[in-house]
Amino acid sequence: MLILLPIFFPLVALLLAVVIVLAIFGKSLGIREWYVDVLTRIFEWGSAIEAYEAPAEVDEEEPGTGRRKLRRSSSSDIGIIVREKSTVVESKLDGNEPEENQQKTVRVIVNDSLDFATAGMEAIIEDQVTSRFKAEELSSWNLLTRTRFSFHHISWKLSALWVGGFFLRYFILVPLRVVIFAVGFSMMAGSCFIIGMIPHKKIRKFAYKHAMLMSQRIVARSFSSIIRFHNQENRANQGGICVANHTSPIDVLILSTDNCYAMIGQKQGGILGFMQTALSKAEHHIWFERSEAGDRKKVTDRLRAHTNDPSKLPIIIFPEGTCINNTSVMMFKKGSFEIGSTIYPIAMKYDSRLTDAFWNSSEQSYGEYLWRMMTSWAIICDVWYLPKMTRKDDEDAIAFSRRVKRAIAHKGGLVDLEWDGMLKRERVSSKLVQMYQKRYFDRLQRTTSIGQITENESEALEVMQNLNDEERELLLKELDDSMDEATLIKKVSEYGPIIRKRLQSSAGSSQSQSS
Amino acid sequence: MGNSSSLMLRDEEIDEISKETEFNRNQIVRLYSRFLSLDKKGQGYLERDDFLNVPELAVNPLGDRIVDAFFTLAGDNEQKLNFRQFVRILAHFQPINRGKKNVLNGRRDKLKFAFQMYDLNKNGYITREEFKVILNSMVGANITPEQLDKIADRTIEEADGDHDGRISFDEFCRAMEKTDIEEKMSIRFLN
Repeated sequence: MLILLPIFFPLVALLLAVVIVLAIFGKSLGIREWYVDVLTRIFEWGSAIEAYEAPAEVDEEEPGTGRRKLRRSSSSDIGIIVREKSTVVESKLDGNEPEENQQKTVRVIVNDSLDFATAGMEAIIEDQVTSRFKAEELSSWNLLTRTRFSFHHISWKLSALWVGGFFLRYFILVPLRVVIFAVGFSMMAGSCFIIGMIPHKKIRKFAYKHAMLMSQRIVARSFSSIIRFHNQENRANQGGICVANHTSPIDVLILSTDNCYAMIGQKQGGILGFMQTALSKAEHHIWFERSEAGDRKKVTDRLRAHTNDPSKLPIIIFPEGTCINNTSVMMFKKGSFEIGSTIYPIAMKYDSRLTDAFWNSSEQSYGEYLWRMMTSWAIICDVWYLPKMTRKDDEDAIAFSRRVKRAIAHKGGLVDLEWDGMLKRERVSSKLVQMYQKRYFDRLQRTTSIGQITENESEALEVMQNLNDEERELLLKELDDSMDEATLIKKVSEYGPIIRKRLQSSAGSSQSQSS
Repeated sequence: MGNSSSLMLRDEEIDEISKETEFNRNQIVRLYSRFLSLDKKGQGYLERDDFLNVPELAVNPLGDRIVDAFFTLAGDNEQKLNFRQFVRILAHFQPINRGKKNVLNGRRDKLKFAFQMYDLNKNGYITREEFKVILNSMVGANITPEQLDKIADRTIEEADGDHDGRISFDEFCRAMEKTDIEEKMSIRFLN
């Protein structure tokens, strides 16, 4: 064993040198792709074993189905139920009702309440929002215990595979990765400090761009990441704001391996803070203090000043405001869309078959997350640069943000949701609840006579107010307690035309008097 | 990390629940996974707040009432729902299977759930005041108190067979005779 060590170290050093040199020049030997290929095949074999050894229960109603089929798609939304009533309720609230108008109010309300009840039950079983804040379910196990729900033993082969995988990940990959990461990180910090000292602006910019690209590529390799960029002709070159959907803290890292961005964020402490300081030495970034973070106007002003300066780098922003699990895109905050500069949308889609890059900040700390990434198989990401977008004249910031969001969701194959990502931590606001109540009321107005009740009532009220004394006496003689409200209103309204005539004639006489 | 997996479901439990509710094994496991994700604090049971954390339920005009009906039918005065009770209530919403003797998802069971939504004080009767509360949740401040009164009056009159000013469960069922409850209150479970 000891004899092997002297041979071992130089080999490893050589390997590291190769990786780093390749990273610097942005080239690849294709080893990672090959590795990912092999792993995927092993996982599929593992799933086949699983299906064989522990076949799923056959549903009593379909005796012939036998074995469960292997699902090949990687990010399938495997549902528990069919959400029919929720769709029905939504279409009712939107105004696409199947029924005709002018139904009995009571009937509509009672029927709708049943629909609401069932839609509510559907939401309890399966909803569109909370599922976006946890890692998506995988269709075939990727030999990481973290993605396994129940640990019951399935087969020896599978367990052996898992042990092998564990050994490979923790004892071979991790040390290599840590070293590569350290090299990349120190190169990033070191080059920033050195570049910051260069007086000549153009040289400094040039040096910064290349130093960043190189060091980011090295760091990206430390996570065994395979990143594919598409439509690079749409890449932002100077100024402007780049927006992307947010899945993990390493989103920025991934984007930085292809293009240089200015960053915006809150000033952190610790290693991250150190990094922020280093970066700022060489280029303009926007870091604001925690106290300033609440002052939206201040942040927006600084942002505007930055983007208006053509000598500054394009700035990268994640408008969702929080990490989402990469199956959907949630509401974009309108702040960055109010500024008025060109927006360069970027869609990012991670392939979660090998590793799920989603950071569930309520479950893991940042450090835990990085460690998880280090001990995973590989990170695979597709990045699409979309053509730039500007706000149209008749569009407000919110509509613009929705348009960009739709484009990004469409390109990345993600579900476009209007829900706020902040719902990860907060409750639904009462304003939203009131909005739904208003929508329901509008539905009642469309389909029942509830609106007419309002009209008749207000007319009757007006009549009452304009009665003079003798009319009032006459009216009271006609009414009595035995009448129901509808008749009462009718009686009062009958006085309407009489009153109108009287008012018109008095207006006419006063006019003739004044002229 | 991973503390949710310690609250695992035993095979015997799954079988028992399957017999009781007619869900198959796969469905029960998935519902269990859902139960765990709703139980954010990892207590092993669900409380009212756990339900209202689901945004789509919170914006549902009858969200509160649905949660209330849930806990009432489960029969737990402490307002804590364990997985067994959770699945039993969900079983009410299974489509009715003709030819199968099922104790949980019959027409009457579904109507019972709806009745519990309306009957706020759980005395077995729906009163005019209780119906006004329901209506208020659905339309909020968009109608006047007079309109609220009027609609509530009309509703009670329609269904109140014995003219005691309130609706009993039997009167409720009779009023719903023409409604296709099975279609309205059924959820199609996959697998």
